[in-house]
Amino acid sequence: MAVLHLSSLTADSPVHSSSSDEFAAFLDAELDSASDVDEVESGEAEGEEEVEDEDNDTGDGDGSIDSSRSKKRKIELIEGAVDPQSSVSRGEPAETSGASMALDVCTHPGVMGGMCIRCGQKVEDESGVAFGYIHKNLRLADDEVARLREKDLKNLLRHRKLILVLDLDHTLLNSTRLADISAEESYLKDQREVLPDALRSNLFKLDWIHMMTKLRPFVHTFLKEASSLFEMYIYTMGERPYALEMAKLLDPGGIYFHSRVIAQSDSTRRHQKGLDVVLGQESAVLILDDTEVVWGKHRENLILMDRYHFFTSSCRQFGLKCKSLSEQKSDENEAEGALASVLEVLQRIHRLFFDPERGDNIMERDVRQVLKTVRKEILKGCKIVFTGVIPIQCQPENHYYWKLAEKLGATFSTEVDESVTHVVSMNDKTEKSRQAVREKKFLVHPRWIEAANYLWRKPPEENFPVSS
Amino acid sequence: MFFHIVLERNMQLHPRHFGRDLREKLVSKLMKDVEGTCSGRHGFIVAITGIESVGKGLIRDGTGFVTFPVKYQCVVFRPFKGEILEAVVTMVNKMGFFAEAGPVQIFVSNHLIPDDMEFQSGDVPNYTTSDGSVKIQKESEVRLKIIGTRVDATEIFCIGTIKDDFLGVISDPGTNA
Ligand SMILES: [Zn+2]
Repeated sequence: MAVLHLSSLTADSPVHSSSSDEFAAFLDAELDSASDVDEVESGEAEGEEEVEDEDNDTGDGDGSIDSSRSKKRKIELIEGAVDPQSSVSRGEPAETSGASMALDVCTHPGVMGGMCIRCGQKVEDESGVAFGYIHKNLRLADDEVARLREKDLKNLLRHRKLILVLDLDHTLLNSTRLADISAEESYLKDQREVLPDALRSNLFKLDWIHMMTKLRPFVHTFLKEASSLFEMYIYTMGERPYALEMAKLLDPGGIYFHSRVIAQSDSTRRHQKGLDVVLGQESAVLILDDTEVVWGKHRENLILMDRYHFFTSSCRQFGLKCKSLSEQKSDENEAEGALASVLEVLQRIHRLFFDPERGDNIMERDVRQVLKTVRKEILKGCKIVFTGVIPIQCQPENHYYWKLAEKLGATFSTEVDESVTHVVSMNDKTEKSRQAVREKKFLVHPRWIEAANYLWRKPPEENFPVSS
Repeated sequence: MFFHIVLERNMQLHPRHFGRDLREKLVSKLMKDVEGTCSGRHGFIVAITGIESVGKGLIRDGTGFVTFPVKYQCVVFRPFKGEILEAVVTMVNKMGFFAEAGPVQIFVSNHLIPDDMEFQSGDVPNYTTSDGSVKIQKESEVRLKIIGTRVDATEIFCIGTIKDDFLGVISDPGTNA
């Protein structure tokens, strides 16, 4: 690395005062032009030469003056001829006028820190999509996002991977403010030493953000297994510092998420999450989230998760009257919990997507179609009659439970005939409910359909009795 | 690029420091105040190497503080467009990679990574040639050329390229370790 002893230079030369301001101006002028020269005649010590030329210039005036001057003229000439910024904005081809600069017209595919990521020019334009989670000052043009996605898809599919976007709260973990910890669950922070190992190793008291976080049972196995099939993102409505803390708890080795942690401030629309800030093709993305409404545009990619409520404040927040898991000193079952069952679903979808028997072009496959197909298998073979569920004024096909059951592959009937398997009812006194009992059909509460949606299999009917 | 330059700063000193080691106090405060800071004009002040002069102190009315104009020599680091730097890779993603050369952060986008290097995701994301002979990952040392610089009060950020002759990986942490 070149070290210039400019203090001696300033002392010798009458032109430059040693005042720091003037000196800085001198430095700027000399080196800015030097760097422009470098674009023409790339050279490591160019700046140094330039400064020395200047020194000679003011001295006895040897031959280097001319070379220095001609260099500067050349710079001006080139700068005049090639102004890529203006020619781009007019959409005309760049005028290279024989200069070796050969700057092809740069469309400025992305901007970081106010500079184009491809040509290094200063760019003021604020268009495109911000990708603050990759770099705080990064914006990418739509074309560039499309290009990256296309490139990424090829790469991913070659490695037999898809993309998985994971929500944090209630999906992978549950957090509470320390201040909201109830008396009944205060043992979690006061008697840490006596907690069972499985609980203690997944419970974190984060004093610096005043939170306590409990990871969902099975989450470590889930992430490890899923990471071999998917490139994973975190996408939370929480704020960035919180998201990064959680990422550390889930991924202490930093091998699952890298810079793919998206927080609230990264969304392009308020109160919504969007795949527009995910650098992956939508046809290859699956989402795990406990909240459907935030994914307005991407419901087809969504696998809805049963909410994990460990702390009391979490139950209260969602209006649940029952005791929290923490108060019951209990937890979700590790082997049969939501993450274990959804992992099986993910593995199955992955298998079907990459099925070698499929004859179609892999680039044209759509994981949303596969998800739809797999979902349709859940209640396949079930023929349902609703009674006391759908209000009379409501078009049955538009009712929530009808639509949900249909998505899960069930078929419907209005009469309890031979082919009907299930009568879904809120009231065991209706005529059809009695008929179901008489004719030995399953009589279940509509929550049975919701459970099927979360469990990804037909839940045991006896767990969903219908009371009067 | 490093420069050895003379800068000037007005140093305010509390009267309690007035004594035999006044000069020493001034110097240590100066070091604390300016080393590691950044200015848009000069770049990053790496180290103070000497004191040129300490001017006459000016007593502030009321407080008793005295302001001394201090001229000092220091080594500054400022990257320039066209400069070649050696840097250590800090993060790799599908957009490109980030690297650091001392206090300077540099981003090299995948537009400016040779076309034969492909992004590989996984536990250690990297850019690798198809034959696997060259790999850029976290901790790799690369030689790159600066094509754009932005100097703020606290940081210097650059756009760089390795898509040119004699640029690219110098050492690969995988093979050295
Ligand atoms: Zn550009």
